[in-house]
Amino acid sequence: MVRVTELTNLAVDLVDVHKTYRKTVQALRGVNVQVRRGEIFGLLGPNGAGKSTLVKIMMTVVRPDKLVGTILGRPLGNRKKLALIGYLPENHRFPPYLTGEELLDYYGALAKVPKAMRRRRAAELLEWVAMSKWAKTCVGEYSKGMMQRLGLVQALLNDPQLLVLDEPTDGLDPAGRRAVRELLLRLRSEGKTIFLNSHLLSELEMVCDRVSILVNGLVARQGTLRELTEHTVEYRITTTGDLAAVKEAVERCGARIDNTVIILNGHNVAKVNELIDLLRGKGVLIESVVPHRFSLEEVFMETLGTAR
Amino acid sequence: MQFCALIVDSLRHALDRKLFWILVAITVLVTLMMLSIGFEGGKVSLFFGLVEAEVDSYDPLAASGKARLVGVVIYGLMDFFLGWVGITLVIIATAGLFPAMMESGVIDVVLSKPISRPVLFLYKYLASMVFVLIQAVLFVGFTFLVMGLRWGVWVPGYLLCIPLLVLLFSYVYCVSVLVAVLTRSTLAVILISLGAWVVFSGVRQAPAIFDTFPELQKHHVTHQVVRAVSWIPPKTADVTYLAAKWSNAGTSLDIIPASAMEDVSAAERGQLERSNQWEKEQLEISAFSSIGSSLLFEVFVVLLAMWKFTRMDF
Ligand SMILES: Nc1ncnc2c1ncn2[C@@H]1O[C@H](COP(=O)(O)OP(=O)(O)O)[C@@H](O)[C@H]1O
Ligand SMILES: [Mg+2]
Repeated sequence: MVRVTELTNLAVDLVDVHKTYRKTVQALRGVNVQVRRGEIFGLLGPNGAGKSTLVKIMMTVVRPDKLVGTILGRPLGNRKKLALIGYLPENHRFPPYLTGEELLDYYGALAKVPKAMRRRRAAELLEWVAMSKWAKTCVGEYSKGMMQRLGLVQALLNDPQLLVLDEPTDGLDPAGRRAVRELLLRLRSEGKTIFLNSHLLSELEMVCDRVSILVNGLVARQGTLRELTEHTVEYRITTTGDLAAVKEAVERCGARIDNTVIILNGHNVAKVNELIDLLRGKGVLIESVVPHRFSLEEVFMETLGTAR
Repeated sequence: MQFCALIVDSLRHALDRKLFWILVAITVLVTLMMLSIGFEGGKVSLFFGLVEAEVDSYDPLAASGKARLVGVVIYGLMDFFLGWVGITLVIIATAGLFPAMMESGVIDVVLSKPISRPVLFLYKYLASMVFVLIQAVLFVGFTFLVMGLRWGVWVPGYLLCIPLLVLLFSYVYCVSVLVAVLTRSTLAVILISLGAWVVFSGVRQAPAIFDTFPELQKHHVTHQVVRAVSWIPPKTADVTYLAAKWSNAGTSLDIIPASAMEDVSAAERGQLERSNQWEKEQLEISAFSSIGSSLLFEVFVVLLAMWKFTRMDF
């Protein structure tokens, strides 16, 4: 096996995942996803891309048509490993007749967390998400944000090695989102692996080590944030004067003019210097030369554009 | 641990619904009604002694007289409260358990836990049995105590109604879970389960048509087919007779006083005697083959539902 050496440091290793719903909806068309231990991995994609389907396959909620791969070094659905994973589904709903405390005890028992430990951890985690005073209230009376926090606590109850979160900041206010981000960073510092799904890249941009962009059931781009944004750069040369005289020469160099700014696409230092020489030769005053790195959002939009 | 958690959750779900308490209320009501009946000084008193009545078939001198009356009471309880009203309400009360578990957003969390789908399914199935067991223990337990303490008649065989009730419920409940897995709709579960129950009871009675109308027996093939088909579904009706047999209860004819029988026309009397005869025959059924063949059907349907459940996407 080629992957033997990787088995030890890959928390998630899925190869060629296919899934067609009811013989008609092709949700995944051969997805490869590798997540290293200890990193925060983001799966980014527009609605309907297949993100939730992939996560549900990992969590045995949906059955794949075809799949090779492992989670925490074992085949998918291995029960010992499932006990080491925490999962927060998207749009989760909890039985409304349970109180927060009862719910945590119930799910903790299903996750095979010993009674004493689930009591202790439930109390700690509720305290930590500021929900202690709601512990004895029925879940039916919770707000969306409280449900989300309870969902997170539920996912963390078994002290998981791998945390799988599907749109975890959905329905949270800015403070809640921030709290989740801080939580994720803290969990990473504790050595946990986090698999994060989102259609909002602002959510991923701030915390993820690596990102995959999923479009129409295929991984369109995959890499670290740096790798994804590195090759997509433009230079902006801001000048003071009128550029009408140099317009033709500048356009011959492959740049375009926007008022007093000259924009050069691509990562090409030689070309930039060529342009500077040209401008200086014509007596144009240069105010600044700024390399502009695309944000992940711009990469994302571009990927969507080409994939469609 | 997982089993207990699922049972506790199912019970909490059930307790949250009004029907659980309606069932408890019925138990309390029936218990009170029975408590209000007393046998004193050769008379039967009703409403805690407000009304006193003489019952022909009740011969205070013979203990057998009282036992027979109690037998009729047991038969009535078993047939009406447990058999019809009880099972109907219990089917409705448990109908939502599987669909609620399979709601999207709820099932996701459960399936992600380290529990396999067949085990989850079976535990959940058994959880419903526990629900019915509790109701049966309450009802049979209380009425048993009333008969013993208030009337002085202890009928240990009556306690067998507890497992028999759970059994009777399970005959129908297998259909409930199959429908739940196929449709995920509580309403569909209620309607189809109740329908199935009526059909089960009806099919079982089908061969009796041939006994009533002997001329039909000439169609030999039809006769055999009807007999064979009537053997397949769970024998829900048998359970009441088994309960009656094991608790030494009487049949419905016992309740009609001898004096009343003198007034009825010959035709009516013939009718009554035929049905009494039929009921007596039912008391002769073999528990082993009746329960065995019913469980065979139940296991088949449950396995089918389980197979479907393990292959579902949520
Ligand atoms: N249970 C299901 N049955 C049929 N189609 C589904 C089901 N779940 C998802 N789909 C379809 O699969 C595609 C991917 O959905 P999903 O994985 O939820 O995407 P995302 O999470 O990226 O928004 C969508 O076209 C969706 O309609
Ligand atoms: Mg989704």
